[in-house]
Amino acid sequence: MRTEKYKQHSQKGKAKRAVLVSVTLVFLIIIIFFISLNTGSIYLTPAEIILTLFAQGTEQQNLILFDFRLPRMVIALLVGTGLAISGAVLQGIVRNPLADPGIIGINAGAGLSVILFLSFFAVTTTISIILMPFLAFLGAAGAAFIIYVLSYKRSEGITPMRLVLTGIAVAAGINALMIVLTLRLNPETYQFLATWLAGSIWGSDWQFVLALLPWLVILIPFVYSKAMVLNILHLGEETSIGLGANLEKERRVLLASAVGLAAASVSVSGGIGFIGLIAPHLTRQLVGDKYEYVIPVSGLVGALLLLLADMIGRFIKQPEVPAGIIVAVIGAPYFLYLLARLKD
Amino acid sequence: MKTIEVNKIDVGYANELIIKNLSISIPSNKITTIIGPNGCGKSTLIKTIARILNVKGGAVFLEGEEIHKVDTKEIAKRMAILPQTAEAPGGLTVYELISYGRFPYKKGMGSLRKEDYEYINWAVDVTGLTEVQNRAISALSGGQRQRVWIAMALAQGTDTLVLDEPTTYLDLAHQLDILLLLERLNKEEGRTIIMVLHDLNHASRFSHYMIAMRDGEVVTDGTPEEVMTCANLQQVFQIDAHLARCPHSANPICLSYQLCQAEKASACCSINSASKAYHQTASG
Repeated sequence: MRTEKYKQHSQKGKAKRAVLVSVTLVFLIIIIFFISLNTGSIYLTPAEIILTLFAQGTEQQNLILFDFRLPRMVIALLVGTGLAISGAVLQGIVRNPLADPGIIGINAGAGLSVILFLSFFAVTTTISIILMPFLAFLGAAGAAFIIYVLSYKRSEGITPMRLVLTGIAVAAGINALMIVLTLRLNPETYQFLATWLAGSIWGSDWQFVLALLPWLVILIPFVYSKAMVLNILHLGEETSIGLGANLEKERRVLLASAVGLAAASVSVSGGIGFIGLIAPHLTRQLVGDKYEYVIPVSGLVGALLLLLADMIGRFIKQPEVPAGIIVAVIGAPYFLYLLARLKD
Repeated sequence: MKTIEVNKIDVGYANELIIKNLSISIPSNKITTIIGPNGCGKSTLIKTIARILNVKGGAVFLEGEEIHKVDTKEIAKRMAILPQTAEAPGGLTVYELISYGRFPYKKGMGSLRKEDYEYINWAVDVTGLTEVQNRAISALSGGQRQRVWIAMALAQGTDTLVLDEPTTYLDLAHQLDILLLLERLNKEEGRTIIMVLHDLNHASRFSHYMIAMRDGEVVTDGTPEEVMTCANLQQVFQIDAHLARCPHSANPICLSYQLCQAEKASACCSINSASKAYHQTASG
């Protein structure tokens, strides 16, 4: 009987820890959110912000908060969540802690379609603002689809190793093509492109929030409902089969969800990498390997990281250093640290 | 009654068939062991039985149903497998990993039910892991880890257990420990056990039924008494075996052996005094 109690206690212990970590993260997000509201070229006092939030602000204060800063921050939160959960799912599918949405061609595909678009249209037209995320999404999903088809083998289906290698090869090809196309752009367009590729959260408008939100609202609960399947996939192919997981079907469905989350995110934020790699990894350090906890917590970690990166980017230079660059500056050393640790 | 019927299967990678037109029956409630030299196709056979590999032709039947056609979750309720290279994420505890054995019975996000806990607790208990159940898998020794995997397979609550070299990489005592556990599961619960073993003497001591393979074909099958003969071992492993009786099971065991020289192969057994002595005791 005593062991029985201890068992239950230990199971509850992990759940308790996950809740504690989540509450802390939400708390941190709220703090950063308010600091971030205050960060920008025009300074607003905390009192002014609270007044403005409660519809007591001047026209200029309204404009800054509701049209510039708030949508941008909400986008940062959503994109961070989407990329992090996408990364967590991918790491589960390929059973490699170093996987990131980049390996299934998300960033390369989105980048390529944006370049193609810029080669033919001007950036400034209204239609381009609506069309671009749409095309970026198609490019990202298209690249992922090509990688999937190329790594598919009829006898074995999709094997993680082939998926990763094909992903690297296709991304390299797309990047080469992008350089060729870049040479043809005029300087202004090039500047826009460079900022886009660096992950500038350029789609800072409420309409992008509305475009992104449905993807997250549908896919995150779905992925969460597959938490147990991801736990099982983590045990390896043969064990998963033995436990009765329909490997091919589950992988396809989960891969499609990860692509949907990452492509939708990147289409409004520009090419942000590393969040999908770092956030799930930090999460595993905090709450362990069980996907019931990894999925929601990595979403929170991703949201916090990108919100913070965006704020830092606006803080150190006006108008801004793209959030993607801040993430990379933090992410690259962390990645190296991970590699060094994985060796032993 | 046969649990598993393998009917004229062709199995292979890419364009090269490893197993051609192989048929065999695995008896219910018995321990069956597949033996054979490296590359003989024993792992391929057991992986096909476990539905890890697909057949190119023929079929495998579990209790009369074709395993590659029935819903894989339904198969998982009747047959559990322990792959050769099972690897657990380090952060999991013993109890958590064993609880994954209930996956085939879960629907969606549903949490574990009372019945699930009963199975898990029983599996923890019968494999002697009660003391370490809350430890991380990464903190366990190889022998304990193998027990955890067996416990996970047991939590699946299946009548049939398929194990691919469950004793490889374990030291002598831990090898025996795993086999005694399997023997107990067979004796006390009547579970059908099918496994691949490299150690002939373990195979002979613990099996009711043995299948000897070479070059993707079944050379011979039957009781250890029927399979563990000089002539068979020569044909399967190209060895000249000195056989004796196992003091524990009274089944034939291989005391020591020489490699057969190809040209002398036919003379191999007859000139061997030790095996002659064995055959005398066997017949007398």
